[in-house]
This record gives sequence, C-alpha cells and structure tokens, in this order.
Amino acid sequence: MLAMNKLRITGVIFLTVAAAAVVSSCSDKKSTGWEYARNMYDPLAFNPDQPNKHFANGQTAQTPPAHTMPVGFDEPETDYPNTPEGYQSAGLNLKNPLPLTKANLEEGKMLYAQMCTQCHGLTGKGDGSIVKLEKFPAPPSYSTGQSSRGGGMNELSDGKIFHTITYGVNMMGPHRYQLTPTERWKIVQFVHELQKLQ
Amino acid sequence: MRNISLFLRSVAKSFLVTVLLTLALSAATKAQDAAAGAAIFKSRCTACHKLDAKSVGPALAGVNDRHKKEWLHKWIKNSQAMIFDEKDPEAIAIYDQFKPITMTPFPDLSDGDIDNILAYIAAPPATGKKGPVVTEAKEEISDLMIGGLVLVIIVAFIVIMLLNRVTGTLERLVMKNNGVEIPEEVTVDRGAKFKKLFKNKKFVFFTGIIIIIILVSIGTVGMWNTGVHTGYQPTQPIKFSHQLHAGINKIDCRYCHSGAYKSKNASIPSLNVCMNCHNYVTAADNYGGQVSPEIAKIYTALDYNPDTREYGPNKKPIEWVRVHNLPDLAYFNHSQHVVVGGVRCQKCHGPVQTMDELYQYSPLTMKWCINCHRETEVNSKGNAYYDRMIAAHEKIKKGEKMTAAVFGGTECGKCHY
Repeated sequence: MLAMNKLRITGVIFLTVAAAAVVSSCSDKKSTGWEYARNMYDPLAFNPDQPNKHFANGQTAQTPPAHTMPVGFDEPETDYPNTPEGYQSAGLNLKNPLPLTKANLEEGKMLYAQMCTQCHGLTGKGDGSIVKLEKFPAPPSYSTGQSSRGGGMNELSDGKIFHTITYGVNMMGPHRYQLTPTERWKIVQFVHELQKLQ
Repeated sequence: MRNISLFLRSVAKSFLVTVLLTLALSAATKAQDAAAGAAIFKSRCTACHKLDAKSVGPALAGVNDRHKKEWLHKWIKNSQAMIFDEKDPEAIAIYDQFKPITMTPFPDLSDGDIDNILAYIAAPPATGKKGPVVTEAKEEISDLMIGGLVLVIIVAFIVIMLLNRVTGTLERLVMKNNGVEIPEEVTVDRGAKFKKLFKNKKFVFFTGIIIIIILVSIGTVGMWNTGVHTGYQPTQPIKFSHQLHAGINKIDCRYCHSGAYKSKNASIPSLNVCMNCHNYVTAADNYGGQVSPEIAKIYTALDYNPDTREYGPNKKPIEWVRVHNLPDLAYFNHSQHVVVGGVRCQKCHGPVQTMDELYQYSPLTMKWCINCHRETEVNSKGNAYYDRMIAAHEKIKKGEKMTAAVFGGTECGKCHY
C-alpha cells in the first residue's frame, strides 16, 4: 500500500514539475524575457547604434565632419575624383604600393572571394551567384570582356581597378566604405591574376 | 473557259499557299531573331539598360522609333567616336543627358547580332512575368485560430450540458405525466464536502506540496532564463531575410558585416551597402511592376527616387533592433575571434543562412563563453604572440634569467594606460 502511494506521489510530483517547466518556458519570441539589472546591459558610454539625446538628430553615430579621415583610409577625392579625367589620371599615376608577395596575394584572393564573387564569380568571368540566379546583370569578364571606359578588361591598370573599386562604375557601387585602401590594393593584385586567365 | 478558270484557281491556290508559307516563315525567323537578341541583350546590355525604365543608360523601349537603324548600329559599335569625334547632334543630345557616362563600345557585335537585339527591343517575347502578387494565405496556425478553436469547443461543451439538462427535465415531465413516481432530487450540500476536504490533513499537506513544487519549478526556470535572450526574435523595421541574401543568393556575411574581421563590432551595414545591389534590384517582378514595399523602405530612408536615380536631402537612418546584446560588463571582440581564433560566424550565430527572420541562437551566457574557451584548442602556429610565450617558457626550462621585460614589461601601456 505504501509502495503504491509512493509511486503515485512521485508520479504526481514529476507531472507537476514537467507541467510547470513547460508552462514557464513558453515565452514570447518578440520580448527578451525577464531581465535583472538592465542597467548592467546598457553601456554607460554610448554604443554607435544607440539613440542619443545629446545630439540634435538623436543618433550616437554621427556623420564625421567634412574632410575627416579614419585611420588607414585615404581620401582619393582630392587627387583622383570620380570623373572620367580622375579615372584616366588614376590609371596613369596610381601604382600599387604593396609588394607582390604570396601573403598579399592570398589575402587578396580571400577578400575577392568575400567581396566580389557574388557578381564577378570565382574566376572573374562575370558569373557570380546572383548573376547565375539572374537577379543582377552580368559584369564583363576580366579576361575577355570590354571595359565601358575603353579598352579590354584585361588591360586595366592598377590605378583604374583601384578607382573602380573605390567609386564603382555603372551598376557596381562604391566599395570604399567596406574596404580599406590596403584591402583594395590586395584585391587589385588578385584581379591582375584573374586578367591573365583565358 | 473551264480550263482557264481551273488554271486560275490552281494558281491562286498555290499563290495563297506560298504567301502563307512565307508569312509563317518570316514570323518564325522574327521570333528566332528576338530570342537570339534576348540572349545577347541579357549578357551585354542589362548591366546598364532596362527596357521600360531608366537605369545607368536610357530605357530602351521604343528606341527603334526614336532613331534610324543605321544610326543605332553605328552608336552601338562605337558611340564615343560619334560624340567626341564626329559631333553627331543626336549623339551629343543623349550624352548631355547622361554625362559623364559614356556607353561601352561593342565593336565585336556583328550587324546580325545588333539586328537581333533591336528585334528583341521592338517585340520582347512575353516572358512569364507575374502579375500583381496575391499574398498567398500561408498555412500557419496562428494564435487567433487556436483561440477560436478553444472557444468553439467551450461553447459546444456548454451547449451539450444545457441540452443534457433540458432532456433530463423533459424526461422527468414525461414520466410525471405518465404517473410514474419520481424520487425528488436530493440536494447535496457541496460546501460541506469542501469543508470536509479541508479538514483532511493528508489532503491539505499534499496540495501544499504540489503548490510549492509548482512555484519552485516556475521560479527556477524563470531565474535560469533571466537575462538569457536565446530565441529572441524582435520585429525589425525592414523584413530583411538572411535566408534569401546569405542562403539563396550566397552573399558572404562579410560583404555587409565588413567590420567582423577588423573591429570589435561586426557592424550593421549602412544603407549605402544595401544600395550597391538595390539600386538595380527592386523585386518589381514579384510586385506587379512596383518596387517591393520592403525595398521601398530603403529608398524612403535615403530619400532616393528610383525613377530619376537621384538622392534627396531628407535622409533618415533605419532603426534596426539589436538582437545580440552582451552586457557591458563583458568585453567581446569580433576580429579577435574570427581572424585569430578562426571561429565561423555560424558557430555562435547559428544557421543564419536559413533564418528568414533573425533570432538569437546562442544564450551568450558566461557559462557558454567559458565552455567554448575550455574546449577550443589554440592554434599557436604563425602567431607571434604565442611564439614569444613559447620562447619565454623555453627560457624557464633552461633555468635562464627571466625578467619582466620578457613578458612585455617594458611596453608603454603597462604603466601609461
């Protein structure tokens, strides 16, 4: 008799624990749930994505004043503006400051794979993943295509490729906000390799 | 006479057949022209031109009426020569609209190719363009449906109870009418039953224990999950799908979150990154020719006019809702983990490429961090920091003199931080 009672009691206890656990774990996905000491989560110094009442537009992330430059970023607007003349001048005068080393080339390949392949494709033929899905028009092939600004794509010089990555051209957007000049030069090195493909 | 009419008839017949045949043939070749043109158009022209809307270059619908065929041939082969060398007035008029952009010369396109392209522009074969999309009723069980179901069941239950009572009363009435003796319903004092129950010590004890167990388990689960945001899936201002962008389109995580490799923050992309693709991609095919309402939110925020392709002055950033929030008491650096540690994004963020709506995959608790730090083996190869550490340990093993400088004790930041 006692044994049966014990069994019953443990059964009931188990059921209640399970039910309570299920009920209390049903939470709203749209809410963060209970929080203790929320002030320990919110930083004292402002995060860039936080609202900020100290600025007129209410944002913490402010547009930097004109002509300020983050460390490691260039300001090619002064020397090589986004004009046909700036492009031609960059093609003549801008040279890759990085030495052609295996490490730089490897890095360039990795950066190219991350930033460029979705349109230009792994081998630069203009057959990237979103081009294949017909969601975006195909860019010209580095090895066999024609440049919209004259000449074959395989003849593009250091400066011209750098200028194009910096400002974009036609359907390609500017990538100077995502890539530092050093990263861009590494990509230029790798693109030169792709130009040699047949 | 008869012979002549017969002859005439046969002539007319053969003539008709020939005419029909040539007509059919010419239609077929035309269709072929347009199909061949479509292929060339897609590979060579779409980078700058759309048929029905201005893109980098002008909209091409009706170009056959606007210019002569010979002029178009010349323009496509080398427009820059027409503008700058020949000073063709028609060419200069177009250049003035799109300065400083000039069109790529296509000397490699044959006359036949260009004819095909023009045929395609004149009569693009009806592609399977979808009309206005009717939002499909998704077969999802919403809370409303469940609520409704429960309500229906409750109502049905009440109705059954009522009917039961009514039949009972009716039966009794019928029996009474038939002259059958019915024993009066014995009214039971329900209150007394409860009172008796509450006097039962065993029962009270048992109920008490159950209530305590419920409270304790709810409390434990609640406290365990306090401040743990696993599964948190806030509604974002734009219905951005990682499944579409990272999964189907295979865009690298880093294309948008370019900070992950070089800074503490992985960074939320600014709208100019969106516009690298969405200056072209409007998903209009899925919305009956209109810009997708979600993409339109980007345009509104940037005060961008997709028709003129110009930005206005009233820009307003999108207020994304932060999903992963590490308490300020913990320092976390993305670049350290991704570059040095070689941790894949998915290890902490879960299968983002399958998430239509992003949610927090990992608990981001201290236990979770510590567990990974305990299990992950350090790859010390090619890392100058570990080289120095190994060298220091070698010195200790050999019993050489160890100074603070060996561990970086002469670095400025050790004192002047």
